[in-house]
Amino acid sequence: MPKLRHIAIAAEDPDAMAEFYKKAFDFVEVGRPNGVLADGVFLSDGTLNMAILKFKTDQLGKGMDFRGIHHFGVLVEDVDAFSHKLESLGARHYIDQGHGGQQAGYFEKKFYGPEGVLFDIAEHGWAGAEKLPEPVKEAAE
Amino acid sequence: MAKLRHLAIACKDPDAMAEFYMKAFDFTLVRSNDGPLAYGHHLSDGTLDLAILRFKSDQIGKGMDYTGLHHFGVLVEDVDATAEKVAAQGGRHYMDQLEPGRTGGFEVKMYGPEGVLFDIAEHPWTGSEALPEKVEEAAE
Repeated sequence: MPKLRHIAIAAEDPDAMAEFYKKAFDFVEVGRPNGVLADGVFLSDGTLNMAILKFKTDQLGKGMDFRGIHHFGVLVEDVDAFSHKLESLGARHYIDQGHGGQQAGYFEKKFYGPEGVLFDIAEHGWAGAEKLPEPVKEAAE
Repeated sequence: MAKLRHLAIACKDPDAMAEFYMKAFDFTLVRSNDGPLAYGHHLSDGTLDLAILRFKSDQIGKGMDYTGLHHFGVLVEDVDATAEKVAAQGGRHYMDQLEPGRTGGFEVKMYGPEGVLFDIAEHPWTGSEALPEKVEEAAE
């Protein structure tokens, strides 16, 4: 089964917010993304990647001042197969990231689901996030 | 370590949205409810509870028409100790569970930096995984 492995929060001050969650819950810093879409801090609870980001574009259509939980990410066995499935269910493809390139570990495809909710799918996973359980991976091979 | 075990989405049509995520990712329906705070469905990926809810009050100050990601939830060892720790870091207490003793959902809601709302609980959300230490204890 696919797994929820990523939560992204839109913040004005990612450093201060990341410090809060590190102190509050002992989440561990696992990266400092600095890309064309956002800058910020990656935290991990050992299972999920929590990205605290200052976005550079308005991906949600809620304005650049939007603060709050922004999108989530699902780890899947096969991004292409899931892309077809999502589109057949009415999801709208938004943007791709190159496979295995220098940004591997980030999202691979972004989709809008019902009511415009944005989510990522990836088969390589996010920094600090747990991989899919072994039996699921073996069954997909 | 505390664990992210709950993610809530605010929507207009929880029935249709839950159907989408069940079909898209094989998430399982574990509970549906119509409570004082929201109507909706709880799905599970085996680890997290994904709540798809139509809220009845404006908990995050974005208006009743807001749709999108709403809050997350963290499973902790000790909810009182964690609430104190969060408050000491500047977190603001919002509300406690309305039905004392009820488990399987939030126990305390708090606002973190920039008004981001999150829940803490020491009993797992319905359909979500227990803390690793608790799983090990149960296996012994």
